[in-house]
Amino acid sequence: MKRKKSGLWLFAVVLSLVLAVGSAWAQETIKVGVVGPRTGSAAATGKAFEEGIKLGTDYVNAKGGVLGKKLEIVFEDTAGAPDKAASGFERLVTRDKVVMVLGESVSSSALAEIEVADRFKVPFIVVEAWADPITAKGYKYVFRAGPCNSGVVSETIAKWVVAEKFKRAFIVAETSDWGLGIAELSKSALTKAGVQFEAMTTERESKDHYTELNKIKAFDPDVVLAYIYGSGLHYFVAQAGEVKLTPKAIILDGAGPPSLWPDFWKNVGDYGNLECFVSSMHEKVELTKLATEYREAYQKAFGTPPTDYKSRSIFDSILIAADAINRAGSTDADKLVDALEKTSLLVTRGTVKFGTEKGGTEYHQWMPPMLVIQWQNKEQVVLYPPEAATGKLMR
Amino acid sequence: MFALAGMNGLVIGAIYALAALGVSLVVGIMNVINFAHGELYILAGYFSYLFANAFGMNFALAMTLAVALVFLFGLLIEYTLIRPTYGNDMYSLILTFILSIVLQNAYLLIFGPYPNKPPNWVGGSTLILGSFYYGNQRLAALIAGSAVITLVFLVIKKTWFGRIIRATSQDREMAELNGVNTKRLNMLSFGLGCALAAAAGVILAPIFPVTPTAGVPVALTAFVVVVLGGMGSLWGCVIGGLIIGLVENFGAAYISTAYKQVFSFIILILVLLSRPSGLFGRREA
Repeated sequence: MKRKKSGLWLFAVVLSLVLAVGSAWAQETIKVGVVGPRTGSAAATGKAFEEGIKLGTDYVNAKGGVLGKKLEIVFEDTAGAPDKAASGFERLVTRDKVVMVLGESVSSSALAEIEVADRFKVPFIVVEAWADPITAKGYKYVFRAGPCNSGVVSETIAKWVVAEKFKRAFIVAETSDWGLGIAELSKSALTKAGVQFEAMTTERESKDHYTELNKIKAFDPDVVLAYIYGSGLHYFVAQAGEVKLTPKAIILDGAGPPSLWPDFWKNVGDYGNLECFVSSMHEKVELTKLATEYREAYQKAFGTPPTDYKSRSIFDSILIAADAINRAGSTDADKLVDALEKTSLLVTRGTVKFGTEKGGTEYHQWMPPMLVIQWQNKEQVVLYPPEAATGKLMR
Repeated sequence: MFALAGMNGLVIGAIYALAALGVSLVVGIMNVINFAHGELYILAGYFSYLFANAFGMNFALAMTLAVALVFLFGLLIEYTLIRPTYGNDMYSLILTFILSIVLQNAYLLIFGPYPNKPPNWVGGSTLILGSFYYGNQRLAALIAGSAVITLVFLVIKKTWFGRIIRATSQDREMAELNGVNTKRLNMLSFGLGCALAAAAGVILAPIFPVTPTAGVPVALTAFVVVVLGGMGSLWGCVIGGLIIGLVENFGAAYISTAYKQVFSFIILILVLLSRPSGLFGRREA
């Protein structure tokens, strides 16, 4: 009996020691959440995010961390599904007690997450979900340090179409918040620019695009604005070559990363030549010294140069978050929002400044510069904007 | 557009039929619904990619080896997961569902999230009827798929093994009384069902590269085809697959490209309203 009692005492002492050490260790870090798809059809973004998170936390912690403590990132998988995204976001807030959340690349998931951010009053920096309503809703705690549909269309895609003197365009968009949103904006921009166009939507999960491609071919466009994400883009480009839509027409991948995925050339073969895509990253067009540092750190950590620009986007957002926490001198949500609104920070893609005027997409939005790049014999040639161009469109 | 929709409908329909045949076979004989069917299709795609690209094997050898390995894996699944659940269909359904999730995550871990593609057997495209170009790899897949479907029918209708399969699916107890080892038959049939998923996978992977989750829509379409054609009916599979392929393509060509799958579900609902057991399904007594 006595032995049993002393055993219980020993257990209680060990348990309290473990808890004490655990909580002391926990106080050594400040937690920031990241949401994004690590599984499901958009899992490639999760991989890019993981890479950017590693480099971002190493960078911040090497410079002293946040508020004198180490920065810790908790990555929650959203699987590209709005229901999982909302519950994952909530778990980060309630279970992990994160002070801020970053990330997301799927617009429908981000639209679900901003509602949770607003309800729990937790600052949320959206990184790569482009749908306009994410910031246009005017939520106090929601920011976006990345492209938005209207910015990409008005600043890059529409201007490029005009600059290349394309007369006929075809818009094909997947049935997603991002695809349908960017297609509508493209229609308005092309109408304003006087470019003749037709448009159609295609199922998000569709693998077979023969019917769509033959309809497009019948229109005889100069350029096809393809708002299709993931493997679907590979199928689209390969099948466009098979039905002989390309190379007569030029395809623009309106998202970017799928054209840079490791097996792009294996999947599309020679049909990938002359394809164009939108990107915020090119090794010969680095806008800041930090972009070069990032490329070198990436090469050192992963043994290859970076391809998916979303790894660099999440890296930037970690720097923005750390900067805001340090300037706020606190993890209080309202003080963090104040600090974020006053951000003026040089990251890999330029100087971040969030819009503060309510009533539109510009509210709490920072739009990084985007490039239009063309694959020319497996070399990336920047076509637009003219000041960053490394070559001319090849047809 | 009419000729293209017809042609593409036939090709996609034959592909659907091939993917559904394995499901139908297993349902017909064992009354087991294999939720991991799509993941076995993907596994074969990954194997053929690995053997052809990483080990430099000839594509035909890589495909044969991939199908054989998935067949063996199917035998193992039946022995370890399905056999202990005989008598309770719900357990096998849950177990194969869990298996599908485990396999998806394993693929993600091993092969990564990006699409992987084995090499094409043939390149380029052919001008059909002077009106549209069609990929040669798709034409080759149509021929290969049709050959596999024909082979399955020959085995089922013309061989001793096929006769045993038909007898067991009609009356299991009577087959047992006549000396059929139904346990061994179940194992072989499940393996064969998995091998058919694998055959579809290796034929289609050069056209539609595989990703960890690409098996989900494949399995969904296969189940729709099986229900439309009638549970356990092989002819139902072929006719069901062709109907869905044609309806999707004519719907996309003449109504909207945004609702391809909706058209097939509408057809499914209409058929089930008039024939609840599917086009070729046996009515329950």
